Amino acid sequence: MDKKYGVYICTGCGIGDSLDIKALCDVADEEGYPVKDHPFLCGKEGLEEIKKDIGEGTNSLVIAACSRRVNFDVFSFEGCIADRVNLREQVVWSHPRSEFPALTEEEKEDEENFDRVQMMAEDYLKMGMIRVEKVSLPEPYKLDNFTRNILVIGGGITGISAAIDAAKAGYEVTIVEKESHIGGYAAKVRKQLPMEDPYEDLIPPVIHAKIDELEKYSNITVKTETVVARIAGEPGDFIVTLKKPGEKIEFDVPYPLPDEMKLDEKGDELDTEKQHELYMQYNEGKLDILQFDPNGEKFGAVILAAGWQPYAPEDGEFAHLGFGEFPDVVTNDQFEEIAAKGKITRPSDGKAVNSVAFIQSPDKGDDDKDFSYAGAVTSLVSLKQAKYVCEDYDDAKAYIFYQHMRTPGLSENFYKSLQQEPGIFLTKGNVVSVSKNGDGLVVEADDTLLGEKIKVKADMVVLATGMVPVTASDPVVNLAYRQGPGFRDIGLFDGYCDSNFICFPYETQRTGIYAAGAVRRSMTMEESVEDAAGAALKAIQCLESVNRGVAVHPRSGDMTFPDFFFQRCTQCKRCTEECPFGALDDDEKGTPKPNPARCRRCGTCMGACPERIIGFADYNIDSIGSMVKAVGVPSEDDYDEPPFRILGLVCENDAYPALDIAGLNKLSYSADVRLIPVRCLGSVNVIWIKDALSQGMDGVFLLGCKHGDDYQCHFVKGSELAEIRVKKIGDALASLALEEERVAQFQVSIDDYDKIPEIINGFVEEVEALGPNPFKGF
Amino acid sequence: MADKYLIEPDVGFIKELQGLGGDTLKKCFQCATCSVACPISPDTRPFPRKEMIAASWGLKDRLVGNGDIWLCHNCGDCTTLCPRGAKPGDVLGAIRSYAVTEYATPKIVGKIVNDPKMLPVLLLIPTMIFIVLGLITGLLNFNPGGEEIVHSNFFSTWLVDLVMVPTAAWAVAVFALGLKRFLDDIHQNALLEGKTDKEKIDAVEFVRALGRVIPTILKHKKFSECGENQARATSHMMVFYSFAGLFIVTNIFFVVLYVFQIHGPYQQINPVKWLANISGIALVIGSALMIKDRLAKTDEVSAYKDWYLLFVVFGVGLSGMLTEMSRLAGAAGLSYTIYFIHLVLVFNLFAFLPFSKLAHLVYRTVAMTYAEYAGRK
Repeated sequence: MDKKYGVYICTGCGIGDSLDIKALCDVADEEGYPVKDHPFLCGKEGLEEIKKDIGEGTNSLVIAACSRRVNFDVFSFEGCIADRVNLREQVVWSHPRSEFPALTEEEKEDEENFDRVQMMAEDYLKMGMIRVEKVSLPEPYKLDNFTRNILVIGGGITGISAAIDAAKAGYEVTIVEKESHIGGYAAKVRKQLPMEDPYEDLIPPVIHAKIDELEKYSNITVKTETVVARIAGEPGDFIVTLKKPGEKIEFDVPYPLPDEMKLDEKGDELDTEKQHELYMQYNEGKLDILQFDPNGEKFGAVILAAGWQPYAPEDGEFAHLGFGEFPDVVTNDQFEEIAAKGKITRPSDGKAVNSVAFIQSPDKGDDDKDFSYAGAVTSLVSLKQAKYVCEDYDDAKAYIFYQHMRTPGLSENFYKSLQQEPGIFLTKGNVVSVSKNGDGLVVEADDTLLGEKIKVKADMVVLATGMVPVTASDPVVNLAYRQGPGFRDIGLFDGYCDSNFICFPYETQRTGIYAAGAVRRSMTMEESVEDAAGAALKAIQCLESVNRGVAVHPRSGDMTFPDFFFQRCTQCKRCTEECPFGALDDDEKGTPKPNPARCRRCGTCMGACPERIIGFADYNIDSIGSMVKAVGVPSEDDYDEPPFRILGLVCENDAYPALDIAGLNKLSYSADVRLIPVRCLGSVNVIWIKDALSQGMDGVFLLGCKHGDDYQCHFVKGSELAEIRVKKIGDALASLALEEERVAQFQVSIDDYDKIPEIINGFVEEVEALGPNPFKGF
Repeated sequence: MADKYLIEPDVGFIKELQGLGGDTLKKCFQCATCSVACPISPDTRPFPRKEMIAASWGLKDRLVGNGDIWLCHNCGDCTTLCPRGAKPGDVLGAIRSYAVTEYATPKIVGKIVNDPKMLPVLLLIPTMIFIVLGLITGLLNFNPGGEEIVHSNFFSTWLVDLVMVPTAAWAVAVFALGLKRFLDDIHQNALLEGKTDKEKIDAVEFVRALGRVIPTILKHKKFSECGENQARATSHMMVFYSFAGLFIVTNIFFVVLYVFQIHGPYQQINPVKWLANISGIALVIGSALMIKDRLAKTDEVSAYKDWYLLFVVFGVGLSGMLTEMSRLAGAAGLSYTIYFIHLVLVFNLFAFLPFSKLAHLVYRTVAMTYAEYAGRK
């Protein structure tokens, strides 16, 4: 495209009062950019002006006004590249003239004086201009084959609900269920927890009505005794091989070579070809992931509703509770099975049950944790099963010993109602032991609400063991992805599959695959049904984004995708390995094969690539690198005491909004920093940092999301990867005789705007203490 | 010996408490707001939190013989502040009611007293005794005649005392039997719950403790610490002192009658008469206030036992005053009838004292004395 430039400076919102607009216009003029200013650019007149120019051929716009986070719809022009120079939030609002006074006419006489805020505005304008020069208009990635069908894995209450929801919206749905009939656990219970107001009483299972409803939809296909052998391809064009459970076929998914097998005897890594050979041996009888099943079924998106399995205690794991030793000590799952059959009787002798003790926590040592994978559901199930006991026998007693009684939301009503049952007795306490007493049992507990120690007699003891997501032991989805068949284990989710539970529910770390129900966390049936609707909507969102060639989430609607300059690829596989979403599959030589529909456009590959061959149409090594180079770095040649220059690479997901909010709140920070928004800190290529320092900038900081246990990175690992990369360049800096303290990374969340001045000024002070960059002026 | 840690909930006990006005007892979720809110609960092992869990677990042993239930004055602060509507005040009231029945023998009397259907029987018993005994002995004269209205001409003082003295003795005996067990139980409970460091009950020390407690009771000190129901202190004090006054009057009358052989009615200028009149009026007003309070307090449960006692107390006061007023007005027939009713109610008060809610005057005094003795702070 032939670019015709236009620079538009808004003087409203205090910009014109603070800055020398004429001088700013001169900056554009000098570069040969036509420039206009307007007191109210987002108003009707201002827009008319821009549109008039567009009508006359202008197609590359630099709009120097407010933040790009506001008026984004106003300043969006079909077929045009536009950059938003943030003069309002990042320049004038955050650098008030009361703190950063403008030069007086007298001061202007002396060339040694400079106006930091004006300098800043001019730098930003230059950065905006170079950016529009360097980027191009994106074109969408269109799949050759596209299918709208949705695959639902799991025919339990979640899968059935999701299928109904998607079918109602008009999509073709296939459910695969490994058992011989659908219904799952929901069909095995005597009664279930309430699903509607007033949330007080148990209700008969709703699954049967759900199944009846399912049968009414002709666009739902149910395949029982079927599992997924592999899912290859990408969203919109998944190629799925189905098989019978236990069957061994060549399209069974291959597993990646374990790390220890990638090394030779000396502990050095084997070359790519050797590794591929070993990988093929390791997966004997299975075809490589890049070989597609010609008979595979096509699906556009997948809903994973594979559910959970009852926790299976290891031998002797709960010996102190008599589990394994006494047949009358059972898990909640076993108790449900007994209750579903009819009147509850003792497994040991089939006699009536007069009292049952429900234990919520194994209480080992000082640990008051509940059983693994337990949660609100196990608390509620204890109440439910206690009620069974009272239902079956008039004078029966049900004791519940808990460390935590979790009845969130309106399930509190259920707790209150069950508490009223005269035969149900609740107490917090550490259960110490379960022992034999005649033909019954005695439960001993410490630190109860009834006093230090108590004992109760019980005919049966029920342990509130947890709901283990099936993904903890089996990938289920069996993805033919180079990173492996399951979801990447980032060590935080205990086998539950999700990417970020709070920010991005349903979205797994694999685009196009949406998790719902107990595979995501332990859930009641009511929650599962609601969750199913969420996942179904996500699957639909995926289909309706992929068909237009745009990103699904979190950069919904982004039309760009990573472009590889393969001639220079060294097959280092770093991009394949570091991609948080497994979007890249390398071949036997290690050359990455992109799957753009799997991609979330974070740019982690771009940040990782040592050859710098990966980029996006509007975001690449050159575009950002040029912005860095556009920053003016005054040296002693210019002023006796030149100002410091510090570069900030700012994550646009949380950190950039936080900066805007700081500006909105008129919180001020150093005027010597220059900020560049990045898609994710994971996309930061260290070359930008090196460039900045070698052109004389005094320091560089990265501002991004929190990482670790409660990470907030929108792309899972971006800020963590950035930190590793930044640490590694410390050595390179040392070889240049530069202090490694000149580069730092800070974590903020979106509501940390009040900490912004402290973070930025703190870093500036630290750099000032180190003194100016010795490369300045070279 | 039974294992002291073994807990055996009594579902029947729970249901009984629920029937006695403690229907909310299962709502407690042990936040202990009640124990914090209670202005009169001791700092160590405070009530009513632990009583609430024991009640919801149906632990009769821990409640009936628990002195703490009597330290409660039913201020109602706990009930007002309870976030779950468990009404600890009412639950403790129900437990006390159960405990009264438990300690008073024969238990059948307790059952009758607490059964609304048996109220006519309670009224019929004294009526029958009076008539039968009066007719046999000839001490009841349905035709007293005479210019002046003299109640003893109709209902001889001999007959009154022939019935009332044994009735009072019966009440004392019932109490005595119950108290022995009661004191033993609350001591054992205090030892179990670590509320005392005293191994045994020392009689002398105990009496001294009683001496220290009596001023507290007389001044209604605990009552005035209440937040929610502080107004109740006034009516309670009126009733309390009017009973004290009437007790003194009755004793003076008794002595004067049998020692000095002087009959009533006394002149209105007689100081004894003053005391009698003031006490009578205070009794009527005090019990009327109590009835008004109960009717106004819709958030607190008023069980039959509460109404029965109020009915008897108010009835005694009112019939007493009306007897006097109708006598002064010269309405002989009316006056004699009311006097008869008055005596029936007085009999109810005396005979069923150990079985009614009024028994608190003994149990609470003993429990407070024990708490004082045990050094409960």
